Amino acid sequence: MPKIIHYRNKCIGCGICQQQQPVHWRMSKKDGKATLINAAGKKDVYVLTIHRQLQQASKEVAAACPVRVIKVTL
Amino acid sequence: MKKNIELLAPAGSMDCIQAAINAGADAIYFGVEQLNMRTRSSGGFSIDDIQDVARLCHSNHIKAYITLNTVMYDHDMQLLRIILQEVKRSRIDAVIASDIAVMQYCTELKIPLHVSTQANITNMAGVQFYARMADVVVLARELTLQQVSDITRDIHRKDIRGVSGEPLKVEVFVHGALCMAVSGKCYMSLHSQNASANRGACVQNCRRPYIVTDAETGEELMIDNEYIMSTKDLCTIHVLDQVVNSGVDVLKIEGRSKGAEYVYTVTQCYKEALQSIYDGTYTDEKIYEWERRLAMVYNRGFWEGYYLGHKLGEWTKQPGSIATEKKIYIGKGSKYYPKIQVGEFDIEAGTVKKGDTLLLIGNAHGMIKEKMEVLVVNGEEAGEAVKGDKLTFKVATKVTPGDKLYKVVSNA
Repeated sequence: MPKIIHYRNKCIGCGICQQQQPVHWRMSKKDGKATLINAAGKKDVYVLTIHRQLQQASKEVAAACPVRVIKVTL
Repeated sequence: MKKNIELLAPAGSMDCIQAAINAGADAIYFGVEQLNMRTRSSGGFSIDDIQDVARLCHSNHIKAYITLNTVMYDHDMQLLRIILQEVKRSRIDAVIASDIAVMQYCTELKIPLHVSTQANITNMAGVQFYARMADVVVLARELTLQQVSDITRDIHRKDIRGVSGEPLKVEVFVHGALCMAVSGKCYMSLHSQNASANRGACVQNCRRPYIVTDAETGEELMIDNEYIMSTKDLCTIHVLDQVVNSGVDVLKIEGRSKGAEYVYTVTQCYKEALQSIYDGTYTDEKIYEWERRLAMVYNRGFWEGYYLGHKLGEWTKQPGSIATEKKIYIGKGSKYYPKIQVGEFDIEAGTVKKGDTLLLIGNAHGMIKEKMEVLVVNGEEAGEAVKGDKLTFKVATKVTPGDKLYKVVSNA
C-alpha cells in the first residue's frame, strides 16, 4: 500500500496541502503547520498508509508543496 | 546632521549575531519559525532561541529586533501569539511587521513595533497612518533620496511622534539584495513553483537566465542580457553622506541568509563609513577601500538602487555571487586549551598551506579571519596540513566542535 510521508519540521504552513486534499490534511492551530491526519509520527516524520486510489491525488499534493516536505511512496 | 544613526545588521544564526557585535552593529534583526521572509533560505531560529538572542544582544549592549513580516493566515494566529508572548518575556526590543494582525497584537501586548518595508510606505500619509502604532517605519526601497528627505523633513516639521512619544524614526536599506518586484511583493516564485515569496519560500527564479521564444515559430529572440530579471545588489557606501543627510535614523543591511563573513565585513565597512562622515574624513580613497572589501563577500555586482533616481536596468550578468573571494570548508573545531588560548581543529577536507588565509566561524567568535604565517600540524611546525591532521593556532575565544574552519581563496 502507498504511504504519505510528512517531514513536518520544515513545513512553512502555506496551507496548499489542506486546500487540495482536506481528507488527509489540516492546519494545526497550535503551531500553524500542516498536520497529516491519523498519521503515526516519530521525530517530526509522520507516515500514513493510504488506499491506492488516493495515491495519484496525494502525489499531486506532494508536487504542490513549495518546500517539498511531502513524499508519496509506491 | 544626525550623529546617532543606528546601524542594523542581519542575523540568520548565532555566529552572525556575534559577527555583527564584533563589527560594531548597534542592533540586529532575526526571524523565527516559518513567519519570516527567509523561511526557506536561512537555517533560522526557533522560539526557544528568542531568549538566548535577547541575552546575547543585551549583554553586548545592542538591540535585537524580530521579523514577523510574512503574509499571515488564520491558522498562524496561535503561533504568532506564542512568539509574541516569548518576545515580550525576553524583552526583544521590537517586532518588524507588515500584517495588520501582527501590529494589532503588538499594540495589545505593548511591544514596540517597526513597520516592515513589506508594507511599502512611499508617502507621508502612510507614515502618519503607521505612526499611530509604530516607533520606526522602514521606507519602500524604491524611493529616491529626495523623496526620503522630503518625508523626514515633514516628520520633523509636523512633529510626528510614534507610540513611545519619541519622534517617529525612519529606516532605509543601505546594502544587500534588491528584488525586481516592488519591495518584496513578488508572485513569480509562487506562479512558477507554487512557492510564495510572501511566506518566505522564494525560489529566486528571477536570478536565472531567460530566453524569449516566439510561441508561433519557436524562434528564440536575442536579448542583450539573459539575466533580465536579476537586479544587482544595493550598495550605498559611496553615497552614504547623501543617505545620512536625507535625515534617516536607521541604516539597514539586508542578508539574513548570508554567512558571518558577509555580516562582519559589511557591518564593519558601514560602521567605519558612518564614523568618517561624522568626523569629516569621508574621502574617495576610503570609499575605494570599502568598495574593495565589500566586493570580497557575497554580491551580485553593485549599484546604488533607486536612491539617485537612476534609470532602471542594472541587471546581473551571471548567476549567484561575484564576490572576489570564496570560502572552502576544510574542517571543524575539536579542542580548546584556555590557559594558552589555543584551538585545535580536525582537518576533514582539502589542504592548508603555510601562508593561507583561514576563516573561523562559530557562535563564540562570529567570524575570525587570519593569515597562517606559522602552521602547527599535529603539534609540530609544518608546511602543510591535510585530511586527518590536527591543526592548532591561537584563538582568544573558546573553540567548540560546532565551529567551522574554511580556507579563503580567490574567486577568479
